[in-house]
Amino acid sequence: MRPSSLVRLSALLLLVIFVTMPEAFAFLFEPLITPGAPAIYNQGSLFALTMQHLRTVCLATLASTLLAVALGIFVTRPSGAEFLPLSRSLVNIGQTFPPIAVLAIAVPLVGFGEKPTFVALFLYGLLPIFENTLTGLTQVPPTALEAARGMGMNAWQRLVQVELPLALPMILAGIRLSVIISLGTATIGSTVAAKGLGEVIIAGLQSNNIAFVLQGGLVVALLAVLVHDGLGLLERIAARKLGRSLDETP
Amino acid sequence: MITIDHLTKRYGSTLVVDDISFEVEEGTLTVVVGTSGAGKSTLLRMINRLVEPTGGRVLIDGEDTRTIPEDALRHRIGYVIQGYGLFPHRNVADNIATVPRLLRWDRKRIAQRVEELLDLFQLDPAEFAHKFPHELSGGQQQRVGVARALAARPALLLMDEPFGALDAVIRSKAQDDLLAIQRRLGTTIVLVTHDMNEAFHLGDRIAVMDQARLLQYAAPAELLMHPADDFVERLVGTAERPFRLLSLTKVQEVLEAGRAEGEPITASESLHEALSRLLWTGRAALPVADAAGAIIGQVSVGSILRHGRPLP
Ligand SMILES: Nc1ncnc2c1ncn2[C@@H]1O[C@H](COP(=O)(O)OP(=O)(O)OP(=O)(O)O)[C@@H](O)[C@H]1O
Ligand SMILES: [Mg+2]
Repeated sequence: MRPSSLVRLSALLLLVIFVTMPEAFAFLFEPLITPGAPAIYNQGSLFALTMQHLRTVCLATLASTLLAVALGIFVTRPSGAEFLPLSRSLVNIGQTFPPIAVLAIAVPLVGFGEKPTFVALFLYGLLPIFENTLTGLTQVPPTALEAARGMGMNAWQRLVQVELPLALPMILAGIRLSVIISLGTATIGSTVAAKGLGEVIIAGLQSNNIAFVLQGGLVVALLAVLVHDGLGLLERIAARKLGRSLDETP
Repeated sequence: MITIDHLTKRYGSTLVVDDISFEVEEGTLTVVVGTSGAGKSTLLRMINRLVEPTGGRVLIDGEDTRTIPEDALRHRIGYVIQGYGLFPHRNVADNIATVPRLLRWDRKRIAQRVEELLDLFQLDPAEFAHKFPHELSGGQQQRVGVARALAARPALLLMDEPFGALDAVIRSKAQDDLLAIQRRLGTTIVLVTHDMNEAFHLGDRIAVMDQARLLQYAAPAELLMHPADDFVERLVGTAERPFRLLSLTKVQEVLEAGRAEGEPITASESLHEALSRLLWTGRAALPVADAAGAIIGQVSVGSILRHGRPLP
């Protein structure tokens, strides 16, 4: 096994063991707490919170991906070209608006819980995916498109058989960026009562328990590293088929 | 037969193709030649309707191309461009299978056709079928490009500077291969180039374009001996003219009786080749052999010179 896959596997193993039986790690956190306080988060299952956290992030990213890719496709068609500047500004607003402000606005509209977090993550995740979809679609070699047209592919066939496959590595890179941002950002969702790893951190802050804060942070960080790595692998597979690594843009 | 009938293309107020008419016989290779920006590509792209004509029409075997749905028309016409436009995400076999798949041929028939074409283009299926375009040399990419265009057995093949990206040695081999394949399949070809040598090497007929207009449409020899105007004459190249003419004529046609000394030349070689051998060996005549190698006569410097300076 290559060293990189070994590191990958150990990180995954560490995460799984930690969230399923955190008590086994109590000795590590005991030096950090005031005597008598719990060393391991005890207000719920770490595993359940991790799954909740992932669920929110996945759903929000899925929604951002669908909208951003659809928008990216639309504005690169001749009929949609005039909407490019408008779409860009809309997506940019989603990114520049701080997620905490989105939460504040969303709560009165959709109530407390997972929904406002979902809205914030969704808006926040649009930009990287949209921009990468645009880049990917506009970088398709013009000769390939000309050949596709010359061989009698209609617009739909060109999109599905030529443009999207060639833009795929770029789109995947955008999704990866978006997921990583969301994994971290989702922790603030707990301020509006969304179930997630933010709960652990907030509980730690409220009871002045550094061990809790560290545990929440650790799990989020491990998740981010693993997801980053996993999606990166996918991108490289997609890019290798195109005969170039991602760093050398054609 | 392809009939180009008063074809015109205008972008805004600029005429890019100006009222061009000519006919391409079935099974022949027509070369459209001219300087950069003359409108050659636009003319070619109007044949498969990648560019919609402003005026005029194109008939294929008498059928107006405007009556055929665009995509269906293009499935029937092979198209090769400079740079080939191979799909980087598809391997060689899948690239070649593009049009047959669009036409929904069944798998077995597609696989058979791909293999047949790889053989025809001297690409070993075992080695090349699963390679991706970036793993091929320029010459191999070019062959895959042409193979892909021929996949659905089009009766007409359009080629826009198909050899433009190849070095001189590979290009000349690719030209010979194209001629061989064309003779074998009987495909009608319209090929665009700005290389006069290529035009003379490949063309059964040559269409000379300049500034959107068709100046002359004729067989190569006719173009040399009776250029329509100064531009054609200059393009043909006054200095190269006699040598081009010699290239167009076979030894067969000036064969004379006699038994010259030396290495024989085949009767199907060109006079250009014969003259260059005579010059190089310093002889006045060469023996001529038929395809089987039997000596059938000789060719002399005098007979070649007489042929190379036609009387008006
Ligand atoms: N879509 C277009 N819009 C406006 N002008 C165009 C368009 N396409 C081509 N032209 C112009 O038409 C003229 C002829 O172009 P075309 O590509 O047919 O030339 P060409 O003979 O193929 O030249 P080359 O040898 O350089 O390929 C050029 O001046 C070009 O700028
Ligand atoms: Mg051109």
